Amino acid sequence: MPPQLTRLLIVFAVLASGLVAARHFLLPKTFGESGHYRTAAVEAITKQPVRYAGREACALCHPDIVEIHRKGNHQTVACEVCHGPAAAHVESPSDHQLPAPRERGYCPLCHGYDPSRPTGFPQIEPVAHNPLKPCISCHNPHEPRPPHVPEDCRACHGQIARMKAVSPHVQLACTRCHETPERHKTAPREARPDKPRTREFCGACHAQGASSPKEIPRIDLATHGGRFLCWQCHYPHQPELN
Amino acid sequence: MDPLQEILRQVVGYVYPNEIELHWGLLIVIYPYITGLVAGAFILASLVRVFNVRELQPTYRLSLLTALAYLIVAPLPLLAHLGHPERSYEIFITPNPHSAMAMFGFVYAWYLTVVLLLEIWFDYRKDLVVWSQQPHGWRRWVHRLLTLGVTDISAQSLGFDRSAGRFITIIGIPSAFLLHGYVGFIFGSVKANPWWSSVLIPIVFLFSAIVSGIALMLLFYLLGTLLRSKAVDMACMDKLAMFLFYALVLDFSLEMLDFIHRLYEAEESIHILSLLVSGRLFLSLVILQAFLGTLIPLLILGLISPALRRGGMVNLPDELRRLLYVGSAVLIQIGIFSTRWNVVIGGQLFSKSLRGLTVYKMQLLGMEGLFAAAALLILPLVLLLVLIAMLPPWAEAETHPTGA
Ligand code: HEC
Ligand code: HEC
Ligand code: HEC
Ligand code: HEC
Ligand code: HEC
Ligand code: HEC
Ligand code: HEC
Ligand code: HEC
Repeated sequence: MPPQLTRLLIVFAVLASGLVAARHFLLPKTFGESGHYRTAAVEAITKQPVRYAGREACALCHPDIVEIHRKGNHQTVACEVCHGPAAAHVESPSDHQLPAPRERGYCPLCHGYDPSRPTGFPQIEPVAHNPLKPCISCHNPHEPRPPHVPEDCRACHGQIARMKAVSPHVQLACTRCHETPERHKTAPREARPDKPRTREFCGACHAQGASSPKEIPRIDLATHGGRFLCWQCHYPHQPELN
Repeated sequence: MDPLQEILRQVVGYVYPNEIELHWGLLIVIYPYITGLVAGAFILASLVRVFNVRELQPTYRLSLLTALAYLIVAPLPLLAHLGHPERSYEIFITPNPHSAMAMFGFVYAWYLTVVLLLEIWFDYRKDLVVWSQQPHGWRRWVHRLLTLGVTDISAQSLGFDRSAGRFITIIGIPSAFLLHGYVGFIFGSVKANPWWSSVLIPIVFLFSAIVSGIALMLLFYLLGTLLRSKAVDMACMDKLAMFLFYALVLDFSLEMLDFIHRLYEAEESIHILSLLVSGRLFLSLVILQAFLGTLIPLLILGLISPALRRGGMVNLPDELRRLLYVGSAVLIQIGIFSTRWNVVIGGQLFSKSLRGLTVYKMQLLGMEGLFAAAALLILPLVLLLVLIAMLPPWAEAETHPTGA
């Protein structure tokens, strides 16, 4: 064997045995006992300071707020989302005061109009919606609701309204297609409006022989679109222009 | 103002809370950039060794030293990013084969010790022995240490060095592919991220690595020669430019393939990705990466290098050609750096909801800031100078011309 190879093998052997020896000494104590981690790490992590208290903890001292929050529209928004981590406050309220987001800029982080938010999420245009006044002067942050009954569907269904406003159906009132109980505007989830159910509903205006203004485009109700419902192909709030 | 709210104001659309701030910043951009240079420089060296491209002989040793200098720096951005360098040895003593990231330590160690150091050692062994026997200078002590005490430089022994070096280069090529393909794999295997998740990514990374490595060696070779006031070997420069052109063509075709494939597949992510490309990444992707970093150099190299026709499509005097080569190499470095930026930063700018975009706020100070990154980019140059001082790669330093 050439001498340089022998020498190299020795060097590598020394390195390798060094590694094995180092592993013996350096391997963390509880490593591998219960998986590919240090079992003691679990303990170390549980020892870390707790920063959040959870909303149940607030009930002891702020029962009234917890109660109205629990029933209101912000029930899914936890207290500490708005007030920040509160574990220290629960321990000693007077030493650790919590901030409250009273300024107007805060609420639009969630409620500012943004077409990519999920449909149905209450959104407003911060520039146009009752400008300059803080939001909390009209809406209670713990139980937000419109201070008076909205006159228009647009208050809560902004996106649909905006869509319809630039569509061929612009002239149709929402209530022409949705019979809406008045209570829907105050308890929207309990009193639900009606929705069209049949092809004949649209046919009332669009069928060949319908007694509707003659500029409305006509289709043959018996054949057009097969047996599918009209809104499986046309979005009723924005029927396509062509 | 609360920094979170400050960023929130620049977010458009709908972004999940954990995506607002980017987790992988500038340092993670540097990391694939540097490993790419390592792999590229090594593959250039192997052209000489395995494929016997004689014109490139003057760059052979320089490429190896460059690869080494950059390889030493390669893990530093990761260590700085993770913030606990003192724990890094743990990935060696508790190997986790299920984690691609954890296996990097082994890929790295393999590449460093088995490939690069050995190849350099075998290549320099004869010179080390001769240098260590010189009567003066402190360096001979270092050289003596590096010989590992073997002083046999008989013809037979040198013959063994040569074939060992060749053998290592042959293992080295797949290893270099592994080293940088691995980096691409880390990104390509993130299945939740449509910008990264692609089997092509490792290959695209590899070819961009080769491109960046050759371009860097072109610059270093020229700089090294001019600084020593030696004549530039234009045959070598032309060959470098030629290979640079070929690698660039391959790299560009692969990127285009990836691009067209995405466009044609038009998965649901296509809308947000096209917003990304036409908006936040327009400068770094369209202008820097594609136009300045790829198309312009392709055009220049295609016209003046001997890649397409002997003597080039346009015949220019040496001086001017050299200048244009340097220009292209610099543009390519900028382009490849942008490529890394676009992959790493671009992949985090859009939300997994596919409905929103966030922004990257670069820090100046701190472990992950601009200055730390700049330091990490300068460090390999310093290391390279030290290596060159210890192991001069130039032909005149060799104890007698090698026939390799
Ligand atoms: C041990 C009783 C206690 C508990 C538990 C407690 N608080 Fe308080 N909290 C107080 C007291 C007392 C004050 C009034 C402190 C003062 O004004 O100095 C207060 C004040 C506040 C304020 C007023 C800030 C302002 O600007 O007016 C907020 C907000 C608040 N608490 C939120 C919470 C939340 C959220 C929780 C649950 C995570 C919680 N508290 C749990 C006792 C409590
Ligand atoms: C949507 C954000 C939001 C959520 C969620 C929220 N709060 Fe508040 N909270 C506020 C704001 C804004 C104020 C300031 C109200 C004011 O000054 O009129 C406030 C004020 C308070 C106060 C001060 C007393 C008062 O009425 O002025 C307490 C106590 C409080 N919140 C407790 C809670 C608790 C407990 C919960 C969870 C059950 C909670 N908050 C959930 C935004 C929120
Ligand atoms: C973390 C996000 C978040 C923040 C911050 C927030 N909200 Fe809300 N808000 C919600 C959610 C979620 C709902 C319930 C939506 C639903 O019913 O589908 C809601 C509902 C509402 C409603 C609609 C009630 C209705 O009639 O349906 C109003 C008004 C409202 N919030 C006002 C506010 C005001 C004022 C603030 C600032 C103090 C605020 N919100 C801050 C998430 C938020
Ligand atoms: C001057 C009182 C006033 C102020 C200030 C005000 N609002 Fe309203 N808000 C209303 C009224 C009234 C409605 C009912 C809809 C309508 O008629 O416009 C409403 C409706 C809403 C709705 C829709 C409710 C739903 O069920 O979809 C949201 C969300 C809302 N406001 C959020 C805010 C936010 C956020 C701010 C602060 C930027 C704010 N409001 C400030 C009076 C106010
Ligand atoms: C106070 C806010 C509010 C106002 C005002 C309001 N809605 Fe609604 N509407 C809602 C909410 C909240 C839902 C439930 C959304 C959900 O559950 O996804 C809803 C649901 C609906 C639905 C769907 C019902 C279903 O079963 O899917 C229709 C249709 C509708 N509204 C029509 C209207 C019309 C028409 C008007 C105006 C006359 C109107 N709404 C006014 C809040 C409102
Ligand atoms: C041309 C008739 C028509 C008009 C006008 C109309 N809708 Fe509808 N709407 C429908 C039909 C049909 C559906 C059922 C669609 C489905 O089930 O997919 C529907 C569904 C809805 C829903 C359920 C959620 C959704 O997006 O599918 C809401 C909310 C709603 N409409 C609100 C409104 C509001 C608010 C207006 C006025 C701005 C309005 N609609 C005007 C026909 C109409
Ligand atoms: C009250 C009468 C009325 C009802 C009911 C009605 N529409 Fe329409 N529709 C119209 C009018 C008016 C236009 C606009 C005609 C024009 O462009 O001048 C229209 C336009 C359309 C168009 C667009 C045609 C074009 O020009 O591209 C479509 C599609 C359509 N409606 C589908 C529906 C569907 C689906 C329903 C049932 C959910 C429906 N309509 C119910 C009155 C009605
Ligand atoms: C299977 C899908 C499908 C269904 C279901 C369907 N449509 Fe259509 N509809 C189309 C297509 C596609 C067009 C456009 C092609 C055309 O002009 O014939 C169209 C066109 C129309 C037009 C415009 C005609 C014109 O002359 O401009 C109206 C109005 C219309 N549909 C109403 C309806 C109504 C009302 C229903 C329910 C009875 C319905 N559609 C069901 C697919 C459908």
